[in-house]
Amino acid sequence: MSSGFSRREVMAIGGAIAGTAAMTPLARARMLPAEMDRDVFAGVVRELRAIVGDEWVFADEASTISYRKSGIPDLRGEHVPSGAVAPASVEQVQAILAVANRYKLPLWPISTGKNMGYGMATPASSGQMILDLKRMNRILDFDAELGTILVEPGVTYQQIHDYIEEHDLPYWLDVPTVGPIVSMMGNTLERGVGYTPYGDHFFMQCGMEVVLADGTILKTGMGSIENGNTWQAFKWGYGPYLDGIFTQSNFGIVTKLGMWLMPRPPVYKPFMVRSHNVEDVAAITDTIRPFRMNNLIPNGVLIMGALYQMSMFNRRSDLWDGEGVIPLDVIQRHARANDIGMWNTFYALYGTDEMIAAMEPILTNAFEATGADVLTEAEMGGNPYFEHNKTLMRGGMTLEEKGLVRWWGKSGGAVAFAPVAPAKGGETGGQTALATEIMNKWGFDYAPAYAVGGRELHHIIFLMFDKGNDEHSRKAELCMEEMITRFGERGWAAYRSSVSTMDLVAQQYGDANREVNARIKQALDPNHIIAPGKQGIA
Amino acid sequence: MDRHRVLRWTGALGVAAVAAVALGSGLSAPVAAQATYEIEPRAPEYLYERTCGYCHGHNVAPIIRGRKLPAAVTSALVRSGNGAMPAFKPTEITDQELEALAQWLATAEADPEEHGR
Ligand SMILES: Cc1cc2nc3c(=O)[nH]c(=O)nc-3n(C[C@H](O)[C@H](O)[C@H](O)COP(=O)(O)OP(=O)(O)OC[C@H]3O[C@@H](n4cnc5c(N)ncnc54)[C@H](O)[C@@H]3O)c2cc1C
Ligand code: HEC
Repeated sequence: MSSGFSRREVMAIGGAIAGTAAMTPLARARMLPAEMDRDVFAGVVRELRAIVGDEWVFADEASTISYRKSGIPDLRGEHVPSGAVAPASVEQVQAILAVANRYKLPLWPISTGKNMGYGMATPASSGQMILDLKRMNRILDFDAELGTILVEPGVTYQQIHDYIEEHDLPYWLDVPTVGPIVSMMGNTLERGVGYTPYGDHFFMQCGMEVVLADGTILKTGMGSIENGNTWQAFKWGYGPYLDGIFTQSNFGIVTKLGMWLMPRPPVYKPFMVRSHNVEDVAAITDTIRPFRMNNLIPNGVLIMGALYQMSMFNRRSDLWDGEGVIPLDVIQRHARANDIGMWNTFYALYGTDEMIAAMEPILTNAFEATGADVLTEAEMGGNPYFEHNKTLMRGGMTLEEKGLVRWWGKSGGAVAFAPVAPAKGGETGGQTALATEIMNKWGFDYAPAYAVGGRELHHIIFLMFDKGNDEHSRKAELCMEEMITRFGERGWAAYRSSVSTMDLVAQQYGDANREVNARIKQALDPNHIIAPGKQGIA
Repeated sequence: MDRHRVLRWTGALGVAAVAAVALGSGLSAPVAAQATYEIEPRAPEYLYERTCGYCHGHNVAPIIRGRKLPAAVTSALVRSGNGAMPAFKPTEITDQELEALAQWLATAEADPEEHGR
């Protein structure tokens, strides 16, 4: 065929076009809320259509299919939505909440629903209706003197990037590695990270508007001051600081979010530290920490494992077709062929030529003392791995890391485990050894990265598996459970989790935490209509 | 280091004036409450460059230009998400936009600059 599709592929695709004819019951695109009968649900759908218009309620198999897609294991159909509703305004959100309260319809809010590695748009439990806020996609304010922005949920990083270019504003974005298709709102509410000096997104957040379950509109911080103009300038407001309780939470629906943007520096210089041995990660961590604490390295540093990097641009079969996990010497050989080490650390300097000239030798000497090579554009320019992180450390647009989801071939799958630890060499050494042991036992390759904030680091482990193979998915699920549990026993817990492990992780944070969250939930959302199960909160 | 020189510090005040004009009164502006592309569809090339092209053509996914892919197949794959590809919802790319994008891809020339995978 001229299209390059095989006959079998075309037939499989035909199934997708026809809706879900080829799907098994567990692969259904939708499931009704557990305690709601069909007629009541049909009535709810009618009321929702009256609010947002017929075309913005999705309540049959074919139209719900986009909301069902995820890359995490879901063998028992535990994360299947009942449908989706897409409001275009805050008033419509309020009206939808009123209906949901009346019928006890659970709603799972998303901004762009690209929570990849964590369940995409899918809910913590089946039957929830996705509240898709993507249509609310305006940049409401951009203060060019303060470098602050106020956005609605559906605004993507690409949209802000384009806006900045179009208006030639002297600011940079900070993006997660998947900027073009995801939202500033969803990422920040999940307390996501990026790689410029503004990499801790929630730290850079300032003011939000939240619709509570009863329709109340709350503006946090300075947002409710009559004739006020400080909403995006001062975070803390007066009295208890509330923004935090609406992140990684199901206490409300956030409809506006303020953020700070980084002034565009006159000069930007990216560096790569190439370390040759797996054990070197400990020394590298101890070298980074003081420079992050005193801000001589200002940005969110990534220590990238060679296999994580190579999984962006290669399939597993390009590297290895033998039995079992890929042996270290094979990884090392391929890394060398790509001019990268076993760990490659990326930091950058921002400022004027004079500032950078003063800092550069201090950092270079310190990293060289660990036995690593410190490389710049002069040596690495054009190398795709260098170029990738060079793009990230200036908040550029890329989706290259999505390549890792294809590691095992056609039917990609990847679920993320992200435990945090103090930024100390003993911790990275210990976490790397434990993750390698558990993942290799289950037959998975350990493809890591560490994102070093200041005094802490996030260990980012993508468990790559073949979602088209149930046996493999089952192993991925069990491997993930073992990692969460055994890391927990060592005092290492995840900063965020996929919808499939929210309860497990919440348990590790203790009964008192769970109880306080439950009491707040009861007070703010007594019918439990907003995202039940989110972060283990019913 | 010149290659990293992005721009000299820009006079923030001059920019503020420009932005104020562009944004009107910002917050209080009573803007139509729906995504603008529902009213004015974005062109296929624009969507391709800002979405599909980051993967298809950048070493992440197969080349899809110049392959005469049937439009119905492309539309179905975009909505369902295919393997490692995420699904794109009607709230992200409207039905009208997707139809035009799929038609455009069915006849688009290959771009020799792109790298498939
Ligand atoms: C290869 C790869 C690389 C990645 N790199 C990064 C990275 O560098 N940094 C990073 O942080 N993440 C990363 N991710 C994870 C993820 O894709 C991003 O965090 C992404 O920004 C989340 O998707 P989203 O913005 O569409 O959020 P959404 O899916 O819209 O939201 C995420 C969750 O937040 C809650 N939520 C969203 N909006 C609201 C609202 N308005 N009100 C109340 N609750 C809400 C919901 O529970 C929702 O499920 C990566 C994933 C992959 C696969
Ligand atoms: C995040 C990366 C990503 C984005 C963005 C993306 N795709 Fe894909 N796409 C993929 C991957 C990966 C595959 C291959 C699926 C597999 O084999 O696992 C694919 C497969 C396809 C195919 C089938 C090609 C073949 O040879 O089998 C089509 C058609 C397609 N995509 C169209 C699109 C269109 C149109 C867009 C933009 C609206 C788009 N994709 C956006 C990653 C992406």
